[in-house]
Amino acid sequence: MFQVKPIISMLMRNKSGPLLLLIQIILSVAIVANASFIISERIGMMSRESGIVEAEVFDFTIYNFDENIEAETQPLQDLDIIRQLDGVKGATLTSMTPLSGGGWSSNFSYGSSEEDSKSAPNAAIYYSDEQFIPTLGLNLIEGRNFYPDEINAGGPELASLAIVSAQFAKDTFGDESALGRVMYRGNIGQQPMTIIGVVEKLQSAWVDNDNLELSIILNVKLTSSFNRLLVRADENAIVGLKEAIPAALHKENPNRVVRGFTTISEHRTSIYRNHELMASVLSLMVVLLLLITSLGLAGMVMFNIERRTKQIGTRRALGAKKRDIVSFFLVENYLLCLIGGGLGGLIAVQLGQQLMTLYSLPKLELIYPIITVAGLLVLTTVAVILPARKAAKISPAIATRSV
Amino acid sequence: MLSMKNINKVFKTDLVETHALRDFNLDVEEGEFVAVTGPSGSGKTTFLNIAGLLEGFTHGDFFLDGVNISNLSDNKSAAIRNEKIGFIFQGFNLIPDLNLAENVEVPLRYRGFNAKERKIRVERALEQVGLAARMKHLPTQLSGGQQQRVAIARALAGEPRFLLADEPTGNLDSLMARQVMELLEDINKAGTTIIMVTHDAELARRAQRNIQIVDGQVCDFTMYQGEQGSVAQGQSVADVAAAEVVTVASSVA
Repeated sequence: MFQVKPIISMLMRNKSGPLLLLIQIILSVAIVANASFIISERIGMMSRESGIVEAEVFDFTIYNFDENIEAETQPLQDLDIIRQLDGVKGATLTSMTPLSGGGWSSNFSYGSSEEDSKSAPNAAIYYSDEQFIPTLGLNLIEGRNFYPDEINAGGPELASLAIVSAQFAKDTFGDESALGRVMYRGNIGQQPMTIIGVVEKLQSAWVDNDNLELSIILNVKLTSSFNRLLVRADENAIVGLKEAIPAALHKENPNRVVRGFTTISEHRTSIYRNHELMASVLSLMVVLLLLITSLGLAGMVMFNIERRTKQIGTRRALGAKKRDIVSFFLVENYLLCLIGGGLGGLIAVQLGQQLMTLYSLPKLELIYPIITVAGLLVLTTVAVILPARKAAKISPAIATRSV
Repeated sequence: MLSMKNINKVFKTDLVETHALRDFNLDVEEGEFVAVTGPSGSGKTTFLNIAGLLEGFTHGDFFLDGVNISNLSDNKSAAIRNEKIGFIFQGFNLIPDLNLAENVEVPLRYRGFNAKERKIRVERALEQVGLAARMKHLPTQLSGGQQQRVAIARALAGEPRFLLADEPTGNLDSLMARQVMELLEDINKAGTTIIMVTHDAELARRAQRNIQIVDGQVCDFTMYQGEQGSVAQGQSVADVAAAEVVTVASSVA
């Protein structure tokens, strides 16, 4: 049987204890709601698919310091050597590695003339060849891959064909097909590039950037004394290849440094480390806060039971059933929880606004304070039910005792 | 109304068994005003607790208003307490954080009465004890006698079949005690059965019947009828009180 009105009367006439608990609940809800939101954001970020067979793909770099090495042909020879090794499924040259934290990006424009020129969003640029898509395990959903004879060796200015990520296509051209569209690096007329294909997903190197999903593959093998390679291999073979590849390359020419060997999975772990750390610390904080709050609730109930022993006995003598005593304490604490939750929710929204302004965090979704209060109600039940059941066992005969 | 046959109550610890009530027999008729006296530790409170369904008994038969009380569930006992019995405690047992109306309302809420019915009953009960004008006051704002009148109002609000009063004047001065006693007499005259446990021989004498409990048994009973003090049967309460003094003196010696 619910006795909301007399319970409110009792709370109002005996404020100090409930008030302290109320403040604790308000702060907990405000902090837990925002912390849960940030944790959820971070987890959401970390669980974004890259579209790559991450465990099978690794990158490494080659620094050639032999002046006699041919910058154009040497990388091709190196790729041939690597493809011969056991366990290797594919290899390609690239200007950057997805999720690595460093690389290239550029702005593009498109349109038929300067007057109707439009800007495409800033996108990551992968200078690579026809092996890039199979090596990373990307899913080509529209158009075609580069042909080998379409790959130019040299500088970025040689790019003439592009394969774009579906997100880039959508953000740039909307529902229209991107195939056949011509983009320009910089202003209209400068270095035209025709889109020949669209891959389902290809992320950039920067996970904190809003344009993570916007990427373009251009048909250029950059010639330089420094080369970055991506290799796809059987997962089990990767450990061995980390030794076999340098050995094979040094056998061909010892005058170079081969280093790196980081799988995309390892890049992911590394680049999301701060997010993971923040999510872990905030999770710990949430758990501690909820624990402290539930201890506060349980402590308050136990204190009240001690203080009201005679009253409970009297209530039982006057006809309260055991479940009435349990519900009395539950309702009393649910009220505190709901009032504290309501006020805490308002403060959570305000706090969320401040965090949004100060730290460019997304706006707190209302569902988080609501879920926090709902969780707190569950926690209240858990914290209160045992002491309340103990209280219900107080004998009604205690009403006739003089102490 | 109330019938106890060979009621025994034994408290057991690992080392000791204490017989609080031993083959206790008592019948109380509807409309009676019974005073229960006896020395400390004689079993008065145990009797009161059993009669009020506040605790169980070890064996025997107990019928209350025709209902066999043996082996009742906790919920059923609570329901009978709520519907049939009104309690008046020595220490009043009012809830300090609730005002008078809310205090009187407590058993009515457990009965499941709606707000309107509760309001009517609360007002009527407080009016009956002369405190209708102070229903928003807190118990701490009242004198002891007034608090006990509120407790009586709380006991009456549910219109119980009988009242159990545990030393109802024990915490009151003589003037207030007399007022409370007069109130109880009025209630009894209106038809409510009253069983009152008391140490006060003067008060006991005002009841229709007086029973004395010694060592967990009804050792004697005295029937008063008509005018106060006209002893109808058995030993007078004054004699009993004197016997108590002798008992205490012997134990001190």
